[in-house]
Amino acid sequence: MRVPALRAAILVLFLLAWEGVARTANPLLYVPPSAVLPAFGRLLALESYPDLVPSLLLTLREILVAYALAIAAGLGCGFALGLNRTIGRAYGPILAALYAVPAVVWYPSLMLFFGLDAASKIAFGFLLGFFPITLAVLAGIRQVSPHMLVVARAFGARPLVIFVKVMVPAMLFTLVGGLRTGLALSVIGVIVGEILGSRSGMGALINHAYGLFRTSDYVALVLVTLVLIVGSDALASLVERRAQRWTD
Amino acid sequence: MSDLIVVESVSKRYVTSSGPIEALHDVSLSVGAGEFCTLIGPSGCGKSTLLGMLGGLVTADTGRLLVDGRPVNGPDPGRVATVFQDAGLFPWRTALENVEFGLELQGVPRERRRAVATELLGPLGLRDFAEKYPRELSGGLRQRVAIGRALAIDTQIILMDEPFGALDEQTRLLMGEWLLDIWRRTRKTVVFVTHSLHEALALSTRVMVMTARPGRIKRVLELPMPYPRAMESAEMVALRATLWSGIRDESLRAMGER
Ligand SMILES: Nc1ncnc2c1ncn2[C@@H]1O[C@H](COP(=O)(O)OP(=O)(O)O)[C@@H](O)[C@H]1O
Ligand SMILES: [Mg+2]
Repeated sequence: MRVPALRAAILVLFLLAWEGVARTANPLLYVPPSAVLPAFGRLLALESYPDLVPSLLLTLREILVAYALAIAAGLGCGFALGLNRTIGRAYGPILAALYAVPAVVWYPSLMLFFGLDAASKIAFGFLLGFFPITLAVLAGIRQVSPHMLVVARAFGARPLVIFVKVMVPAMLFTLVGGLRTGLALSVIGVIVGEILGSRSGMGALINHAYGLFRTSDYVALVLVTLVLIVGSDALASLVERRAQRWTD
Repeated sequence: MSDLIVVESVSKRYVTSSGPIEALHDVSLSVGAGEFCTLIGPSGCGKSTLLGMLGGLVTADTGRLLVDGRPVNGPDPGRVATVFQDAGLFPWRTALENVEFGLELQGVPRERRRAVATELLGPLGLRDFAEKYPRELSGGLRQRVAIGRALAIDTQIILMDEPFGALDEQTRLLMGEWLLDIWRRTRKTVVFVTHSLHEALALSTRVMVMTARPGRIKRVLELPMPYPRAMESAEMVALRATLWSGIRDESLRAMGER
């Protein structure tokens, strides 16, 4: 009861402050919430941006592809590096070094390679999502108690069975945490990619509104994008809690 | 050759970063079918190593191990089950699912293995805990689940590595009585490791005292008395003194080494 009330209070306070600041400053640049609301209505009524729905769907599709690729490559690399000492010793440090590079420096070259359309956004979303998933697999593998593996072996488990019945459940919580972070970063990658340069998708709409100083439309578009991001994370956290209940 | 378990001149040396450790040196012993055979000795003398070898989890450097006349060559859940010192339960499985683990690996159908495991829970005193996860169970109950997991695969041989080591004295005594009851009903062959003189004397048909590292069998005590044993009888008190004098020197040696 008190938590939602406190949350609502900070939101109201924030909106009031925003309104106050916007009214005393230049309302074209500092658009007040009272102007965003009608803009939001026009956006949802498909008046200001009739191609909102296809843009949203395109962005969603890019995210899905990027995330699916990040999961496949992340799990593959993570298990290869974590389960095979030689491969881990050879490539682990390279992975860590690459992870230390701020990912956005790769983006211009991704656009050169993949062009201005969906492919470069997918590539960037993939790149951002890939690392947390790989690292979660590596951390998860380190978490598996060697004693559990001995117990399984004593009862006759072969390597594949040990993997499925012992390793995966033992590391599940960490793994799902990494998958959640990976999703959040894939979403961010795709959207940032679109904003940095694209002809379609939510990022392109945001850029358009921003470029024409249609600030209230711009804020409305950002809000829609925000719903997408928060919604996907909420979904992931639901899955995470499920996994937690199961493992612990 | 009627002995179920035969260990012949087995040695084991671990190579560690601080040099080699000789865990076992030329150990020979044999255990007959239906025996309750206890290994006792100072910690670090290689008891777990020896049990690991019998379970096929540790390979011997020299010598050979036979179970039922066949050389041990990896884990054999058809003949040997192990209860580990720290229960080693899978935290994501309920008590019942943990008991089912070995049957699941053997491909026993779901209904069947559930029935077998459920039937075991009664004598294990776990009937009310079937759906509980290990973290919800006390140490004694967890150890029972581990014993249940070993009993479920119904092997001729059960290896138990200090199964009650982490329990308080009272629980330990009760668990001892309970294990004795199970052993007498199932007639399995038990190889048991303990630090407790009382446990060794109350439960075993035979006690083997091991030396400090590198472990060897120092002396063997036959205990043909019937169960339950009157632990305060003159005979048992004398045996206890004999056993203690054998272990005392080795424990002192093991302590001096640290
Ligand atoms: N995997 C291992 N690697 C290195 N040393 C080990 C290993 N397992 C046991 N040891 C060493 O071997 C000796 C015997 O160990 P163990 O068989 O566990 O003795 P116990 O069960 O009698 O306490 C100890 O000194 C122990 O530190
Ligand atoms: Mg031990």
